[in-house]
Amino acid sequence: MTGLGRIGLVAVRELRAERREPDGIVAAVTFIAVLVLLESLVVGPVVARDADIAPALFWIALAFATILATMRSFDRELEDDALEGLVALPGGRDALFGGKVVAIAVVLAIVALVGGLLSLVLLDLPLALPLHLVVVVVLGVVALPPVVVVDVVLALRLRARAALVPILALPVLVPQLVAASRGASAAIAGDAVGALSWAGLLFAFAVVYGVIGLTIVPAAIE
Amino acid sequence: MIETTFWRGSVPRVRPLLGTVAAASFVVASYMALVWAPTDAVQGDVYRILYVHVPLAWLAYLAFVIVFLASIGWLWTKRPVFDAIAVASAEIGVLFTGLFLVAGSIWAKPTWGVWWTWEPRLVTTAIMYVGYLLLRSLSPDFSRRATRAAIFGIVAVIDVPIVHLSVLWANSLHQLPTVLRASGSPALDSAMLLTLMVSLAAYTLIYVYFMSARISLELARQERSWATT
Repeated sequence: MTGLGRIGLVAVRELRAERREPDGIVAAVTFIAVLVLLESLVVGPVVARDADIAPALFWIALAFATILATMRSFDRELEDDALEGLVALPGGRDALFGGKVVAIAVVLAIVALVGGLLSLVLLDLPLALPLHLVVVVVLGVVALPPVVVVDVVLALRLRARAALVPILALPVLVPQLVAASRGASAAIAGDAVGALSWAGLLFAFAVVYGVIGLTIVPAAIE
Repeated sequence: MIETTFWRGSVPRVRPLLGTVAAASFVVASYMALVWAPTDAVQGDVYRILYVHVPLAWLAYLAFVIVFLASIGWLWTKRPVFDAIAVASAEIGVLFTGLFLVAGSIWAKPTWGVWWTWEPRLVTTAIMYVGYLLLRSLSPDFSRRATRAAIFGIVAVIDVPIVHLSVLWANSLHQLPTVLRASGSPALDSAMLLTLMVSLAAYTLIYVYFMSARISLELARQERSWATT
């Protein structure tokens, strides 16, 4: 079986497990929905509709949702003692990283869809370039998981890892969050060139951190 | 081992001399910064904190680069000395990043009118250092701790220039580069530039001195830890 085949296999297995026990996705969707509802209440409806504020809060929420979903995914592996078997297979460590990234990106796409629709409807955001926004969101969703999966693997089986993972992941995610927030703001405001430029950067981040993860994560999994 | 002989024998012998040279160069750099360098036409004497702020910034990043190289060394060879170099550089990096933030804050008040600005380069670098040391402190087993820390060190260092560039994207308040400019020649007076270079050399020597002491300490700690297990 090829490397891509193994990654696909782990991703499908992961998504099946998520469908059987959807606590990770439920937690992430609930988290982002509550944040969208609170946003309008806390900053007021006028500020909440600001083309810079709403995307920034949305992407910060999505970054935390990524951490939630990834930690839940690895918790499930540890509870079932499935990790040892998986990494013992030939190419299992690469497949574990790649498969987790793909599966978490799919989960995150669902979370982003729900959170995005709630933001557009409840905050009544005036959206100028919907297709550009979709491109930014898709690439943003792909750019976040590689960093978070690396950090969750590093913090695996450590005490206080619930606090440690955000401390490790969020500073590294700053460029992705800047690009995703600015890209979404540009799409909302009608700046097509700006939106696509930020989308290109998000794609570059996804590739760079994906390659880094595939190169060094196997060494981190004991 | 060769490493132990080097860090236990040669380095402690040279360290007093290194400390003396570092202290002397610090005195010379301080004199040049406070007395010899001319006053800035725009900022007045306030600008003199540049001779502390810029060397501290240089060392904050240099320390992270050393963490990066030592991390690769550990993953490649599994020699404990590389882990000792990485932890030593990270701890000293935290110290210099902290001083860098304080010096920047003192400079920001008279020039920008605020004590603190959300400067992403400084803040994310500082948090990544703290995360690195936190990750180390929570891992009980030596080999796993070193491996996990090495991987995070590599990821974090690769992220530093990307965060650095994000400053340009995110409309930061921070001053644009003064010495290393894309247009070529530095925007500094020659006496100011010389003072800055001497300050950079002096602070780098202090970093090297701290590193030599901290690495020896870490190697001794590693040996004691193996002796008791």
